Amino acid sequence: MQVDMQTITDILHNYPAQQRYSLAMLQDMQRHFNYIPREGMEALAEYLDCPLSSLYAMATFYKALSLKPKGRHIIKLCDGTACHIRGSVNLVGGVERLLGIQAGETSADGQFSLELVNCLGSCALAPVMVVDDTYYGKVTMERLPEILGQYREEGQP
Amino acid sequence: MNITINGKTCTCEKGEFLLEVARRNGIPIPTLCHHPALAGQGSCRVCLVEVDEGRGPKIVVSCVYPIQRECTVETDSERVRRERGMVLALLRKRAPESRRIAGMCRLYGAPELPRLTPADTGKCILCGLCTRACTELSVGAISTVNRGVLKEIATPYHEPSTVCVGCGACANVCPTEAIPLTETAETRTIWGKTFQLVRCASCGRILGTREELELAAKRCGQEPETLCERCRKAATAQILADVYGD
Repeated sequence: MQVDMQTITDILHNYPAQQRYSLAMLQDMQRHFNYIPREGMEALAEYLDCPLSSLYAMATFYKALSLKPKGRHIIKLCDGTACHIRGSVNLVGGVERLLGIQAGETSADGQFSLELVNCLGSCALAPVMVVDDTYYGKVTMERLPEILGQYREEGQP
Repeated sequence: MNITINGKTCTCEKGEFLLEVARRNGIPIPTLCHHPALAGQGSCRVCLVEVDEGRGPKIVVSCVYPIQRECTVETDSERVRRERGMVLALLRKRAPESRRIAGMCRLYGAPELPRLTPADTGKCILCGLCTRACTELSVGAISTVNRGVLKEIATPYHEPSTVCVGCGACANVCPTEAIPLTETAETRTIWGKTFQLVRCASCGRILGTREELELAAKRCGQEPETLCERCRKAATAQILADVYGD
């Protein structure tokens, strides 16, 4: 994907050039590009006149920030205690087979990223899966193709 | 204010760190991540001691413990040795290749902890002293990267840094010699980058890397040094002698 430098500059100039806004700027870039491009990291370091290493530390620390492109849809599969007991491991395997990716990876077509999370706070619905911002409770292996199918773009297999 | 350390009365100011007071009075407390120029790191926990402020003894980390009231301190009691041994045993699992930690483990009879698998990270205990040295004294070329079990010290994107000047401050402050720095007659290599060394124009001693000298010169608005400290002093003395005669 071509990264538009003008977009990066626009994001940065929404904030004053102070280091306390760096996380907000990184989040905005993450939201816009679905990841933080290297050009964005370097532009931010220049804008704030701070070492690139301190931004890199931040970008690798927070789970919400990613330095590699994420899929258009983020699948969060809960593997907390309740979901684990209710068989979330099988669901992980199921999603991995359907999309051909491992947890933490992004599918080759850039459609889906699969993440394992530790608790989504809705244990009564275990096992829980969240796609983008939609919660799916009491997920079974049988329902997986139907749920994921809604997010596939038309014309895709 | 007076406090008692190992039975010895020591004078101190309110708010002073316990480790400083002890060392000033010749009472040794072992440390790893403490460096006088970068005090208060407080991440290795080796300097823990027992403090009693009248409500029973408690374990505190002496390098970041400000003295607030009169108290008695034990730096080498049985409990301190046991707890310190455990801290060292865990650090040995983190940095199994560090000879310094292995030696301290022997000294404090650290348990073996066979249940825990040693980390494969060599000598680094992730105390973060190097990143502080680089940020505060040099250019901020390295930082902690990732978190939890994946945490490490690295340059951005794990590539040779574009800003590193090869000053070696990070390797210098590292308590476990975990940062590889190699030197030949003309070059110094650190963090995957090789620098040209500059030698004293008079005696030939190593002054540092060219980038390091240029950075220092820029910061104090002068031309880069060409002489080492000793030859500079000699040159100044010669000038004075010339001006004032014998």
